[in-house]
Amino acid sequence: MENAIELRELTKTYGTRRGLAGLSLEVCAGEVFGFLGPNGAGKSTTIRLLLDLIRPTGGTATVLGLDPRRDGVELRGRVGYLAGDFVCDGRQNVRTYLRFLAALRGGVPQERIDGLADRLGLDQSAKIKKLSKGNRQKVGLVQAFMHTPELLVLDEPTSGLDPLVQQTFLDLVSEAAAQGQTVFMSSHVMAEVEAVADRVGIIRDGRLVALDTVAGLRAGTVRDVRITFADPVPEAAFAQIEGAQQLRLDGHGTTLTGRLTGSPDPLVKALARYTVTGIRLTEPALDELFHSYYAGAEAAPRTTPAGTATTAGTAGTAA
Amino acid sequence: MNTAIYTKSLSDSRRSLLGWTLGTATIGMMYASTYPSQKENTASLPEAMREALHTDATAAGYLQTSVFGLIVPLLATIYGTATGSRTTASEEESGQLDLLLAHPLPRSRLLLQRFGALVTGAVAVSALVWVAMLAVRGSADLTSITPVEFLAQCVNLALLAIVFGALATGLGAASGRRVVVLAGTAAVGVLTYTAHAFAAQLGADWLARLSPFHYYIGSEPLKHGFQWADVSVLAGTAAVLVGLGTAAFARRDVNS
Repeated sequence: MENAIELRELTKTYGTRRGLAGLSLEVCAGEVFGFLGPNGAGKSTTIRLLLDLIRPTGGTATVLGLDPRRDGVELRGRVGYLAGDFVCDGRQNVRTYLRFLAALRGGVPQERIDGLADRLGLDQSAKIKKLSKGNRQKVGLVQAFMHTPELLVLDEPTSGLDPLVQQTFLDLVSEAAAQGQTVFMSSHVMAEVEAVADRVGIIRDGRLVALDTVAGLRAGTVRDVRITFADPVPEAAFAQIEGAQQLRLDGHGTTLTGRLTGSPDPLVKALARYTVTGIRLTEPALDELFHSYYAGAEAAPRTTPAGTATTAGTAGTAA
Repeated sequence: MNTAIYTKSLSDSRRSLLGWTLGTATIGMMYASTYPSQKENTASLPEAMREALHTDATAAGYLQTSVFGLIVPLLATIYGTATGSRTTASEEESGQLDLLLAHPLPRSRLLLQRFGALVTGAVAVSALVWVAMLAVRGSADLTSITPVEFLAQCVNLALLAIVFGALATGLGAASGRRVVVLAGTAAVGVLTYTAHAFAAQLGADWLARLSPFHYYIGSEPLKHGFQWADVSVLAGTAAVLVGLGTAAFARRDVNS
């Protein structure tokens, strides 16, 4: 089986409101896929469609080769799911509740549950409703990982977790991927998927607007540049450099500042002709790229998803 | 078959179920015990009044108006409604249903096992009412009613609770909203009880036949024992309501 998830022209409307507007996406088996978008972009809608909690208005979804509607029970047996807003029955303690959820799956070894809870620092004797938001999220993580599913579908998995536990979570994801499990995780923070994701998809208004590897996305991004020269350089020296249209020389001709789009290579080659006294290129934060998709979106709200995705892909290839 | 949902429902509701069984049985027992002191009063009521109250001076007549005519069925109806609203509607509203339905179980199994726990509770409540009646049968001068006749009325009591539980379950499964469950069940409860009580006065006997209360007590099981046709109507109604709810639940989106 090649793809863990295949979405074809998936649409979902709630009354007049649009949840998804023709989302097509493939997630390969064994990869860690980051699914990014701000709140309300359609991330949770997509994820709930995968698990047959809701049904599409149009299009098809295939998960682990199965149809969510027809083969929902088998599908959910092979998937671990963490809801974006993880809520559960709070009346019992963590251990009893996890055992109940395990029983719904036909049982999970107790050592596996204990191991995960210990790693996340989750006290299993505590009553669930007495837990803090972060600790409750740990319950959600344990139940998603405990049966070692083929596919992990995690909606905003790190919300509420402190940085140390976030790191443990990222380790769990990496280990899952190393064992061949597929991970599909959504987030509205690029930084949290950046570290583990093989590929990233960005969703806006129910459509996929970018799809690329983390490296590819980064290649298409913008860096802040500040370069100083020993002697004034001609004003037109960098005008023809690819991606350097937003760079400006100051009045003396000795300081070049601004933004560089894409690969820094052409600029570096051009700089070699002059005496450079200082250079600073910021590492592109994917967060900024993420925001640039949304900032640009306001100017041109109806970019076709395919077109935008291709642009990002091209930039990746150019790097 | 994986019965984790059924087991957990019962274990979660064990305290409230204990309260319902003990409370209903105690209240039933207390009312039944007043028969010796009330029988003279009933006998002195004018004929027309006794007609209206469906009562007479016999033990069965008294229990049919007081214990089994009003207070115990009211409690059973409330038990069915409250428990039925928790089958899926409450958890769907609080968002807890997503987690369970993301597990490998069909929605129908969740619904039917929860409903199974409701049925178990209704049977427990009625069984204890039966035991309570047998306990006061001698002391309260109720020996004209046989244990089997008491049992027949208590089986109908369980079925009445189950019908309202099925209605609440069905409404919740179809709508996913607690307010629909509570308003719908209360409306049906009041209308059907009224229909049962006043159909004769209105000269519209057919109206009573639309009421579960009619099948619950209309054929006077305390005097005539088991009425299998009534038992079947109540059981069948519950099955249809849950069946419709299950079908609607399987078809729709789970609210988030």
